[in-house]
Parts: sequence; structure tokens; C-alpha cells
Amino acid sequence: MRGEWNSEQAISAQNLTLSYSGIQILRGIDVALPAGQTLALLGPSGCGKTTLLRLVAGLLAPTTGDISINGQMVAGPGVFVPPEKRQLGMVFQDYALWPHLTVAGNVAFPLEMAGIGRAEREARVTAALDRVGLGAMAARSPAALSGGQQQRVAIARAIVGEPRIVLFDEPLSNLDRELRETMVAELGALIRGLGLTAIYVTHDQSEALTLADQVAVMEAGQIAQLATPEHLVEQPASPKVAEFLRLGAILRLVRDAQGWSCAGRALGPLGGPEVALADVLVTPRALRVTEIGQAALTGEVLAAQFRDTGYTVTVRLDGAAEPGRAIRTVQISSDTRMRTGERIGLQILPERLRWFPARADVPM
Amino acid sequence: MARSVETVSPSVIIAAVGLGLVVAVPFLFIVLQAIFPELGRGSLTAPFSAFAGALGDAKLIGMTGNTLLLGVLVVVLSALIAIPLAVARALFRVPGAIVWDVLFLIPFMIPPYIAVLGWIMTLQPRGYLEQLAGFNLTGFLFSVPGIVFIMTLNSFPVVYFAVSRTLETVGSRYADVARVFGASPMRAFWRVTLPLSTPGLAASLLLVFAMAIEEYGTPAALGSRAGFDVLVTAIDLRVSDWPIDLPGAAILSLVLVALSFGAFMLQRWVLSRRSYEATTGKPQGTAKRDLGPWKWPVLLTFGLVAFVATGLPLLAILAGALSRTISGGLVWSNLGPDNFAAILGDTTGALRALGTSLSLGVAAALVTGLLGALSAYAVVKSRARGRGVLDVLTILPNALPGIVVAVGLILAWNQPWLPVTPYNTALILLLAYCCILLPQPVRYATAAFHQIGDNLEAAARVFGASPLTAFRRILLPLIAPSLLAAMLLVFAVATRELVASVVVAPVGVSTISTYIWRQFEQGSVGLGMAMAFLTILITTALPLIVLSLMGRRGSLL
Repeated sequence: MRGEWNSEQAISAQNLTLSYSGIQILRGIDVALPAGQTLALLGPSGCGKTTLLRLVAGLLAPTTGDISINGQMVAGPGVFVPPEKRQLGMVFQDYALWPHLTVAGNVAFPLEMAGIGRAEREARVTAALDRVGLGAMAARSPAALSGGQQQRVAIARAIVGEPRIVLFDEPLSNLDRELRETMVAELGALIRGLGLTAIYVTHDQSEALTLADQVAVMEAGQIAQLATPEHLVEQPASPKVAEFLRLGAILRLVRDAQGWSCAGRALGPLGGPEVALADVLVTPRALRVTEIGQAALTGEVLAAQFRDTGYTVTVRLDGAAEPGRAIRTVQISSDTRMRTGERIGLQILPERLRWFPARADVPM
Repeated sequence: MARSVETVSPSVIIAAVGLGLVVAVPFLFIVLQAIFPELGRGSLTAPFSAFAGALGDAKLIGMTGNTLLLGVLVVVLSALIAIPLAVARALFRVPGAIVWDVLFLIPFMIPPYIAVLGWIMTLQPRGYLEQLAGFNLTGFLFSVPGIVFIMTLNSFPVVYFAVSRTLETVGSRYADVARVFGASPMRAFWRVTLPLSTPGLAASLLLVFAMAIEEYGTPAALGSRAGFDVLVTAIDLRVSDWPIDLPGAAILSLVLVALSFGAFMLQRWVLSRRSYEATTGKPQGTAKRDLGPWKWPVLLTFGLVAFVATGLPLLAILAGALSRTISGGLVWSNLGPDNFAAILGDTTGALRALGTSLSLGVAAALVTGLLGALSAYAVVKSRARGRGVLDVLTILPNALPGIVVAVGLILAWNQPWLPVTPYNTALILLLAYCCILLPQPVRYATAAFHQIGDNLEAAARVFGASPLTAFRRILLPLIAPSLLAAMLLVFAVATRELVASVVVAPVGVSTISTYIWRQFEQGSVGLGMAMAFLTILITTALPLIVLSLMGRRGSLL
């Protein structure tokens, strides 16, 4: 089934906008998703990612622009296919299990709506519940299950009708971290195993980077960057994207005759673009701890968190505070434990910096 | 604006049509009739000409003043009786608390026109009080204090339940926190519990006010002899006695609606501004304190109020029903089941009236249940354009007293140019009951819909259900328990509704209430009492049983 649909886009949207009472919620969205791929919509709350998903589901109608599913226009000028005719699966953030139906009743609902006979229905419900490991829970009420089990039921309900496209609306955000990490792996295996085309809304960058073939980072109703996970990490399109992906610290640098300086401390010639002012992304890998006497950057250790690969150390940089930014901190990894309050020196590795030329009119 | 390619859900269309027919039409015709006095002849001439005469009438000002006075006095007396009881019930361990709750619920379920008949039997010259104690209180009964007293017995439970429930919730949740931070019990009461309970108290008092200014039976039975006219009785006089004055009735109706609407909006404002009672689950009874030496005085007070409000009228009605002749008095030889036999033998049309009222009650429960569920859905869940109008139409009946609905229905359906009309059929009674009682299902269904996450319906749509299928398979089952409770309440109230029935019942159709009312006017008091007793059994016991099975005793207030 996967090969059959590879040739065309499973989902595409052109110039999509949505306004509500004069407020623009989505502006000029263009997306194309080939069959069998997973697209993650990543962004902070209120960026419009769930709204975009509901437009694809047919739970909202766009103000302008059009949406096609498997080459058929489902929303556009004079066209609106209601959600029940779009043949999608969907997993909701709050699970949205119907409390008056049993687990099996919930999972059977899509098949019932499709007019599938009782015998086949029961077989497919059992198969779907077995796939998510809840075969024994069929007769229970959803309220009697834990959060993780409820979300598994919701996933079984989304795949039981064998839709080609499944929409995930922050499916794991109500679960605790340990369970979330297990479920991400399971979901990835499920999506690949069934050859699904999926749109996955999340605010968690690690979920997005793990699951998706393409990630759309959304900000204020627009797509700030649409790229593969590797591309996104290597070449974030803007300081905001880099910040949201938590790739490292963004420092503002000024160039003069001697080279670059940060908050009055000369850093020397670091390369970088031929502009007077630039933002630079400093990842933990771009910093190295050195003797405090000869270091360009110095700072004080604020916190050290132990992880199994070493310590993640947060350092507050010395120098005048910039207006509008409370404290400038960077993170480094270290094999040795550092005490809070310890003063250290940092060396910048220029080849590992990523530069964003700043607009000249922005004051420092 | 979202593109309007989404078709409007059929449930919203049905709600709009139903609300238009049941609510908008009668209200519209009252407004039209008030403006155009010649409307009855199909003419729109001389607009506003009746206003000057009616509004300048000193009698109108007097009746409006009487109506307000009655409302205020009933509110004050209800508060005086209910608040001390509610405080004791909520904060202290009162023995038999559940029993007192049930006993205080019964007077609220007995329609005041039936209770007033029991009181007349008791307090009139040669009444039960005189037979037992040697004196009567006729002067008190047929006076403004008497009217206020009897109406208060019907309405104080509203305040009692609202205040005791709020105090219980607030007391166990917030006052305990104040105790932890160093407040003494008294200080916690004055600084935390009381301020947090004020909105609930204010809202319940406003509800009592609205009930009092709409009440027909008590002022009609007692006020005329006291020379005490209120708006409701004056409207009744203008539509049922010669000379018929429809423009006058319409204008008085608008004055009454204005008062009622004001009270209702004020109540909504109070509750929306600050309400803390709905935020928690079960009140905890464990934190209550012992009454100590106050135990017996408190119990005596509870007992006295329960006897006067519940026991005495019920006993008087039962005594009247079991008396062979009223003049025979309270002696053993005069007692017998003759009146019940006459009713069950249907020699007086009693069974027909019972059947009519019960079927109308069932029909009203079904219609208002369906319409209420669809309207609440349209207002809460749909994004249909114009749902603001539907919201107004669901709120409006709260401010439409029964007499006003009746007048509106006469004005709307008695127009000479109508080819078909429900007027002069039992259908007009159904329309009246539906309009009067629609707020109950709407309120229950609205609350239930607010509890249902939007994604439950969205999920059904995504998984292949059409709008109507999603409503029927997902939403309706989820609100069913609340809706059922509301429909039972509609059934109980509709089967015994008095004022609209008296005004719009067609010739030859009698309901339970018109039957009782007529027996009393004709002097067949015993038959009326027997019917009243059966009605109380049916309309009080049934909802109480079902509600207690559902574990929501008292929450129908």
C-alpha cells in the first residue's frame, strides 16, 4: 500500500489562512506531505499547530486557501468535505474516549459507522486492541484505565478502520516523562509498521525529532521552518527556531576593527559574516572549558545537573547585562562535577558556531 | 470569518424552529398587542395609544407596588426562617439531617394553591383550628401578612437548600484552610465562610422574589377578600372577565415581565460574578461541630417549621378529603373514603381531568426535554451563526410568568385570520406548559454539555459519524441522566400547573388544577381535597423517588 501512494502527495495545503473574529490564527500555510511520511508540527502553545491539524481533520473550515487529501480537494473555494467523509484516524490530546461506551465499544465505533458487520467488527477490534497490548481490557470502562492505557485505546480506535492517514494532536503530553519515552518508540514502530501517513502535533522537540520525516516549526500562525530533523538541527533558519529547539544559547555579538566582542569582552576574529551585528548560536559542543586567566569568556557556575553521559553545567557569563534579556547563560557538558558558584573560563570553537546576521536597525 | 461552507447542523435548525414556536411567538404577540391596541381586529392602527391610559392609571402603580411589596416581604420572611436553619444544618451535627431535608423539600413540591386550600380549611371560621382549639385566625389568613406567610412556607426551602449547600462546601474547603492559618472558628466563619456564601444566598433570594411576583393561586384565593390586587390577578381579571381588555392585559404583562426579567438578570449577574459553590465535589460532613446544649432548641425549631410547612397543610388536606361533609367536622363518624370513591368512580369528571393532566405532563416532559437538549447544544456546542438569538430565547422563559405566557398564547392563536389554530384544543395547554417549563431542561442540559469535552463530539465526527448520529450516539447518552431529572421535574410541575390552565384551558377540558379550583369555587371542597391529595402523592413522590435513586436529592433547586 505504501508504494502505491508514494507518487503523489497524501496531504497538501496551499496558502491556508484562518481568521476568527478578525484575529489571524493561521497565515499563509503551505505544506505538502508525501504518502508514508510523518510530518511533525512543532511549536509553543498558541502557535496554531492544533488549529492546522483541525483544519486537515475538517473540524474547522479555512478562511482562504485549500486542502487536498490524496489528490482530492476537501476544503477550498465552495468545497467543504465534512470530517466524517475524510476517512482519517485521529488521536486527541485529552484521549476523547466516550465514557458511556466500553473500551471495545469505543474501538468498534469507526467500524460501526463504516457499516461493517458484527463478526468482522469484533475480529478487527480484538486485533487492534491486541496490537496496543490491551486485549484483556475490552470489556472495561475507559474510566477504569490509567492515562497511558487510555491513550493506547485511543490509538487502537484511530487505526482500527485502517485509515491511510492518522492525525495525532499532542497525544503524549498528558503522560509522565518515563511513559512518554516508551510510547514515542511504540508509536514510531506502529506508524512505520502500518505504513501510515501521519501528522503529529507536539510542543516537545525530542518527540518531533524522533518521530518525524519532516518537522514544521510553527510560530505565531506561520511555519518558521519546514525541514528534515537533521537539517533543522544543523541549520536552524532563525535564532527563534534554534531557541525553541533548545540547541544552545543565542548571544548577540558586535564587530569592530579587532574582531567580534560580546557585551564589551573581545572574543577575537571568529569568522562569521561581514556585518556589524550578528546573533550567534552557541551549542554546548562549541564551548570548551579553559584556564580562567587566558579565557575570552568567563562566568560563574549556576547549576550542574548529572546525566548518565556527564554533567550539564549552566554558566552565567560575566559582562554587562543586555537590555531586555535578564541573564546571559550558556550550557556546557563536563565530565567532572563543578561546584555552584565556581568561576570558570570558556573558549569558543569558531567552526562550531552558527551565525544569524542581525538587522542593523535593532539596537543592542 | 470562517467560510460558511459548513452546513448548519439539523439539530440547530430544529432548536431554532421549536424555540420560535414555543417562546418567540407568544412573547412577540404580547409586545405587538401592547403597542397596537386594535391588533385583535387585524389592524395596526393607533400604535402606543393604550400606553398613556394604562401606565398613567393610579391603579397600575398601586398594583405594581403591591406586587413589589409582596415579593420583598416573602423574601425577608424566607430569609429569616431559612438562614438560621441552613447555618445549623451546614455547620453543626443536626440529628436526622437527611429527614429534615426531605421534609423541607415537600412544601416546595406542594403547589401553593393546594397548600392555601389546606390553610383555609384550618384557619377559617369553624375550621379545624377552631374545632380543636376554640379560636380561628380568619383575620390573619385573609390579609397581606397571611398571604406572605403562606407563600413563604412554599419558598423558604429554596433559600434553605442553596445556603446550606454553599455553606457546607465553603465551610469544609476554605474555612478549614483559614483555621490552619490561625483563625478561630468564629473568625473563619465571619471572614471566609460568610463572604464566600453571599452570592449563593443573594441568588436564592432573587429566585424567591421572582417566584413570589409570579404567584397566582395564593393572591387569587386570599387577596381578593383582603382587597389586595397584584399584577397577576389584575391580568387574569382583564382576560377572563367582562369587559375583556387585551391591550391592558398586554401592558400589565410587560410590566410584570420587566420586574421578573430584572430579578432574573440580577441573579445571573450575582452568580456569574462570584460563585464558589460549583467548584467542588462532595461536601464533607466530618468537620461539623456538636450542637451541645443547643441540641434540643434547634431540634424543636426544625420540628416546628417542618410541622407548619409540611405536616399541617397535608393533614388539613387529608382531613378535608376524608370528611363525608365539611360541615360534619372532625368527628369519627364523619370520616370515610367517599370522596376518593367519587373520584375513582369518575362521576365528576375527575379521572378525565387526571388523565388529561398526566398525558399533558408526559408530553410536556418529552417536548421540553428534546427542545431543551437541542437548544442547549446549539448554544453551548455549535458555532452556528445566530446562536446568540437562540441563547436569548432559551433565557426569556425564565422571565415569563405563567399568566404572561397564557396571555401571549391567547393573543397569538386567537387571531381571526389564522386558518388553523391550536386554540380551543388541549394543544394550547401543551404549548403553555412547554414555554413555562423549558428553562428546567435547558438549565440541566446546558450544565451537562459544559461538562463534556469538545473532543468527544469531534472524535465521533472524525470516525465517521454525521452531525445527527454524533448527537444521538455520543452527546445524548452523556447528558441523559441530567436531562431525565429535568424532565421528571417538568412532568411533576406541568401536571398540576394552575394559572395558564385556568386562563387558556378550552371549554370542556379540565386539568387536575382547574378541577380542584372549580370544586372549591362550587363548594365541593371534599372532592377538591381528595384530588389535591392524589396530586401531591403523584407529583411529589415520583420525582423524589427517582431523584433519590439517582443520588441528587435537593439538587433540583
